[in-house]
Amino acid sequence: MSDGRLPSSSAVQATARFSNRRLTPEEFQAYVNAPVSEAEREEALRLIRWFKKRYPTPAERLAYAQRSYARWTAHRR
Amino acid sequence: MFSAERGSAWTLAYPHYSVVVPQPDLIRVPVASPLQSTDTNLMRGSAFDEISFFSAIEASGARALLIGRRALVVLGLPVLTADYDFWLHSEDIEKLNEATKPFDLEPNRDPDDARRVGRYVLENDEHIDVLVSDARTTVDGFEVRFDDLWSRRTSVDIGAAEVFIPSIDDLILTKRIAARPKDAEDIRLLERLKEVRDE
Repeated sequence: MSDGRLPSSSAVQATARFSNRRLTPEEFQAYVNAPVSEAEREEALRLIRWFKKRYPTPAERLAYAQRSYARWTAHRR
Repeated sequence: MFSAERGSAWTLAYPHYSVVVPQPDLIRVPVASPLQSTDTNLMRGSAFDEISFFSAIEASGARALLIGRRALVVLGLPVLTADYDFWLHSEDIEKLNEATKPFDLEPNRDPDDARRVGRYVLENDEHIDVLVSDARTTVDGFEVRFDDLWSRRTSVDIGAAEVFIPSIDDLILTKRIAARPKDAEDIRLLERLKEVRDE
């Protein structure tokens, strides 16, 4: 940690490299085909239903995405 | 320096001032204002007008498919995303660049170089990743052709514009091209989305 709160830039870069790496076919299949518990599935369905009800049009969803990203970057400052 | 309207109001309080509007040419003066580092909305300037952006792309006639997480959001998945991702027909780079010029988006490669490399970026405050390959290969060796995706595209009405996105199954294919952990997560979400759509 560089200042006690934020990770160092090298740690951020290492994390980005790790999360942006291209998986092998086997790794990718393992990720995609990992079993989904019923609770996990229901949670995902609930979230999608809520989002589509809260933002019924594609334009509203796009606007939501812009706002949420702006909020996220503001909180990271 | 004020607008003429504000200047007129100023003269009510300070009659010894006069309003002068330069003619025939207006003078453009660069202006800077200090802002607090927390004023992120102000620092972004006028918010990126997304609808106008998509409208300009549609009007240009460029064959551009919105892919990536922004397409997932359009379809109804609440995922966080910073960028825009397009898969563009390789003959339409100039059309897209021209259409996005009013948004101060600058391509990082010239069209021929972008065609050679297969991708480029349009950037200012926003970041637009543009894929321009005719075909890409998934992590498991399946060839995905732009023309096939284009022929199966879905048109989405966003008000003043139409956005073209691949079918859900084709979006899943595009996710298998990049094949990062988050692409696998997105595929799992797209599978759930298909369930909701079938309800």
